[in-house]
Amino acid sequence: MANQSISSQLVDKLKSAGVNFFVSVPCKLLAGQIRLLEEDTDVCYLPVTREEEGFGICAGASLGGYMPCILMQDSGLGNSVNALKSLVQFFQLPVVMLMSYRGSPGEPVPAQVPMGLLAPELLRLMQIPILHCHQTMDLDNIAPLIEHARVAESPVAIFIDFQLMEGDA
Amino acid sequence: MNRFELIESLVPVLEDTLVVCNIGIPSQELFAICDRENHFYMLGSMGLCSSIGLGLALTTNKSVVALEGDGAVLMNLGTLATIGNRAPDNLVLLVIDNGSYGSTGDQATYTSEATSLAVMARGGGCSNVIECSGETTAGVLADALSAKQASVIVSKVIPGNRPLPVVPIHPIVLRERFKKVI
Ligand SMILES: [Mg+2]
Repeated sequence: MANQSISSQLVDKLKSAGVNFFVSVPCKLLAGQIRLLEEDTDVCYLPVTREEEGFGICAGASLGGYMPCILMQDSGLGNSVNALKSLVQFFQLPVVMLMSYRGSPGEPVPAQVPMGLLAPELLRLMQIPILHCHQTMDLDNIAPLIEHARVAESPVAIFIDFQLMEGDA
Repeated sequence: MNRFELIESLVPVLEDTLVVCNIGIPSQELFAICDRENHFYMLGSMGLCSSIGLGLALTTNKSVVALEGDGAVLMNLGTLATIGNRAPDNLVLLVIDNGSYGSTGDQATYTSEATSLAVMARGGGCSNVIECSGETTAGVLADALSAKQASVIVSKVIPGNRPLPVVPIHPIVLRERFKKVI
């Protein structure tokens, strides 16, 4: 485990918790995970053109009996509020949101900061549980969070930040 | 032929499929014509019918028909690229193209002017794209389903809506009865 990249640990944690369907809108912090998923033959993976579309596809996969995950930037949350509220949460579908915590400390792009400041507040307002992964040991909380998504029939959000991904080999 | 008459003609063909139906009056009309457990009425999330259908088709072996509208596809054009590249054989995207935002008071959409959703679907990478009249759509859909290849059907009809109530089914009831037939 010590020699495994953070991206590889993340994908393994998600898969071992039962996630078997992935869509992605790209981010530099998610590039490692996306590369792994592109090669992964155990799971269904496809890139999507926008977050809102991704939530629609995840909702369909959830109806189909899969545990879906969307990889996205936190800034994409703004594009997704209605899809989350009137589809994912209205029909109570478990969907995992693996979000790069753009706009948090370590962020080089000033324009990412406003949505980065808003994203945790917005998720709380939307009643979506959050796990902030700041160091490797935080990844151990992924499996319980995903079990909670099943029990609560709710979307859940995992933030991965710059410090966590700094160690990505 | 308008959307209501088109949906009436489609109902027998949709019996053995999973139907994801566009928000608003299309769902209300389908519900009024024939309510079945294989119908998923969207209730919300404007524009995402084709995406829900794609996610469902990727995770089931049954045939999935996404009953879409022209206005809805125009709101989510990226879906034509994703479907064009990743749609499995069991997905049919059927766009009811009446050139009109029917559920919001029949404002004209751009498909009533210069825009062609069939051309856009082909440009997105969709290979089996059929544009047809409402009158011939049931046959085209039956052929697409028996061919078992991903298809996009753009069915041209005239605007017009039946005055109908909102679909009166609780979302969790709808989810559970739909999941049972998947
Ligand atoms: Mg229309």
